[in-house]
Amino acid sequence: MTRAQLLADDPLWLILIKAVALLLLGALATMAMIILERKIVARMQHRPGPNRVGPNGWFQSIADAIKLPFKEQIIPDTADRKVYFLAPIISTIPAFLAFSVIPFGPEVSIFGERTVLQLVDLPVGVLVVLACSSLGVYGIVLAGWASGSPYPLLGGLRSAAQVISYEIAMGLSIVAVILYTGSLSTGDIVDAQASGWYFYLLIPSFLIYCVSMVGETNRAPFDLPEAESELVGGFHTEYSSMKFALFFLAEYVNMVIVSAFCTTLFLGGYMAPWPVSLIGDNYFNTGWWPLLWFFTKTWFFLFVFIWLRGTLPRMRYDQFMRLGWKILVPANLVWIVLVVALRAFRNEAEISATTILVAGGIVLVVLIGLSFLLPDRAAPDEDSDRVPVTGGGYPIPPLDLVVPDKDAAAPRRVRRKRQTASVGAGAEKETEQ
Amino acid sequence: MLLAQQGAATVSTGEAVSFWVLGPLALAGALGMIFARNAVHSALFLVMTMLSLGCIYMVQQAPFLGFVQIIVYTGAIMMLFLFVLMLVGRDASDSVVEVLRGQRLWAGVLGVGLAVLITGAVARSLIDVTDQGLAADTANGGRGNVANIGQLIFSDYLFPFELTSALLITAAVGAMVLGYVNREQRGRRTQKELVEARFRGEHDRPSPLPGPGVFATANSVATPALLPDGSVAPESLSRLIESTTADKLAAERESVAGTGPAAGTRALAPGKEESR
Amino acid sequence: MLVAQSSDVSSDLGIYLPLVVMFALAAAFAVFSALLGPLVGPSRYNRAKFQAYECGIEPSPQPVVGGGRVPVAYYLTAMLFILFDIEMVFLYPFAVSADVLGLFGLVEIFLFIATVGFAYAYVWRRGGLDWN
Repeated sequence: MTRAQLLADDPLWLILIKAVALLLLGALATMAMIILERKIVARMQHRPGPNRVGPNGWFQSIADAIKLPFKEQIIPDTADRKVYFLAPIISTIPAFLAFSVIPFGPEVSIFGERTVLQLVDLPVGVLVVLACSSLGVYGIVLAGWASGSPYPLLGGLRSAAQVISYEIAMGLSIVAVILYTGSLSTGDIVDAQASGWYFYLLIPSFLIYCVSMVGETNRAPFDLPEAESELVGGFHTEYSSMKFALFFLAEYVNMVIVSAFCTTLFLGGYMAPWPVSLIGDNYFNTGWWPLLWFFTKTWFFLFVFIWLRGTLPRMRYDQFMRLGWKILVPANLVWIVLVVALRAFRNEAEISATTILVAGGIVLVVLIGLSFLLPDRAAPDEDSDRVPVTGGGYPIPPLDLVVPDKDAAAPRRVRRKRQTASVGAGAEKETEQ
Repeated sequence: MLLAQQGAATVSTGEAVSFWVLGPLALAGALGMIFARNAVHSALFLVMTMLSLGCIYMVQQAPFLGFVQIIVYTGAIMMLFLFVLMLVGRDASDSVVEVLRGQRLWAGVLGVGLAVLITGAVARSLIDVTDQGLAADTANGGRGNVANIGQLIFSDYLFPFELTSALLITAAVGAMVLGYVNREQRGRRTQKELVEARFRGEHDRPSPLPGPGVFATANSVATPALLPDGSVAPESLSRLIESTTADKLAAERESVAGTGPAAGTRALAPGKEESR
Repeated sequence: MLVAQSSDVSSDLGIYLPLVVMFALAAAFAVFSALLGPLVGPSRYNRAKFQAYECGIEPSPQPVVGGGRVPVAYYLTAMLFILFDIEMVFLYPFAVSADVLGLFGLVEIFLFIATVGFAYAYVWRRGGLDWN
């Protein structure tokens, strides 16, 4: 039986189990993600991070989840109450709905019922994810508008413009995958990668997807809608209590979705990675094992999200839009034409695949180079009288300076004398104030 | 709920149920769009109609069309509507002055024409069109919905397809002509050039204006910054904030003195506060 | 069994049933959560709480940014989004049946992308993609 037939045979109780499992997965992944993010970013910044609730602070998310409903809900007078109430709901539902087309695993047996670890396998599965992300934008715009307050409005508009800009790049990067698969169904896309994962077969698409998925979820370094230094909290400034929690949930569930979708499109979905797939006639690709591979890959992307946040500074809005519209979209279109050409010529079977690959690679490199050369702004003229980092007129210590060991270098008496002197100076300062 | 086994001529239960759920929803959305007082609410009702239509397409065995309806219409076009509504401003009220002459007459004529067209189409579909059945294989030529659409668009309907791309050009050019504000990009100075210009004395002062005294005495940006001698730094006061407070004070004085104007357009705002 | 046991799966409306179930569950969860806040949370009246947040100053009666209007660049972005969204949507069925169409399809899609690319280049040259 095919995947779609197996799924169509699901009785209602099985559908319910799967749907509830997906809801739980979203909520739990959000909680895990929050604590992991705080812990990992803390570690990257050399500080302990949350360390009060539970062992080493690992229960912090649970405490937060319990706390949030008991917070007072404050709605500003200027708010449009109906839309204000609807906005968090509108952004939450599509986030969860997109989960339903993600294939988590192959055929398994649940309580004696043969089925597939996927809620629904539509012939247009890819479009479901795109439709959900385009619906989720409404939550953001409406939240910004309904609050009746300047910061949320600006944040909401920025966010919407950002999400729709990067949705184009995202949608176009999927086209190459569909060209190779010949189907819009997510299950078929995973099956088609049995011979080779697309992340190395379609490197440009993969890279563009990765950039646009960060832009699509409003995460650092593209978190302009929530730029604290400019917009306070962005579109959810006026939201509190559980409504705020819903926005938070939607944001993190969206992160999980785009990561899971990326896994499905480019990393072979639930398939076992290469060395493991050789063991025992691909034994680890059957039964419940694929869940492990799927979540490993997805959590890898989620870790990259956190990593990016801990590493990169926030981009400026014009830079961000330029990256989306002037680099990702044209590069994507050129790449699609190349892939179509490659496949068309190969099917004609007059030129060997290697020749096409080599020629295509050269053309691609030239085109990418050209796209960077396109004049956007005059190159800054050479600054000849810039102050050099070292060797100038300023007393800058050399970069390879070795601080001498103080115990060995300085005799005890001298050191103590210096210490008292400095303490004295500090005391003097304090009395002055 | 046996859905598929019935013959092509009858409507299956599932289809009937979905129609009776989605149809009224679409209709309610359309009516709500017309009768809502607020423009954004109208847009939201229209979104609901579009969504219901998309779902109806799916029920009619056109999943691709259904999701495209959701992606393009609700996702893109309604988002444009929302942006345009916000472009006009939240408090902009409807103008009762008719800008186009004879607008109502033409609206009536065209409305009747549209009604006739729709009636004709519906009547023809009831009488003339032979029932093809909605089983996916027959409706989609045995190749699946998306593949069938792809092959038909790029073979039989090639010319209309290429025409749509011309339509897209028109849209882009139209948007540029309507929405373009002539910003001279070439003449814009870079950050570095601006800094140099400042120090050359082309601006009032080389440094930015001092920030408010938020951290000094209060947590409000309305707090002025203090100079070293304890006096208020005048540049640290926002013109907007100062004028707001001053305007409020002046208005209160006027209302106490009884010389102020009668209730204006914003008279509702303070009343709302008191009703709490 | 609630769902029809049909051999012809794709003609069955039942394939949408899980989506409906998921939608209902997610909607129930979201509405429940949104209603939960005001029910269990405290509610202490304070006039300042009901003002829009403007960093501690009195909210200005003037409308938000630029007289309540947003920059026209957003409109352009949304228009371009429609443009490319439609292009994207046409590319999907093409991608599915590209192998059948062969070289003919290549020429067609190249023409299509070039035509849209023309509009794109025009907008780019006129500065429609620049943000301040």
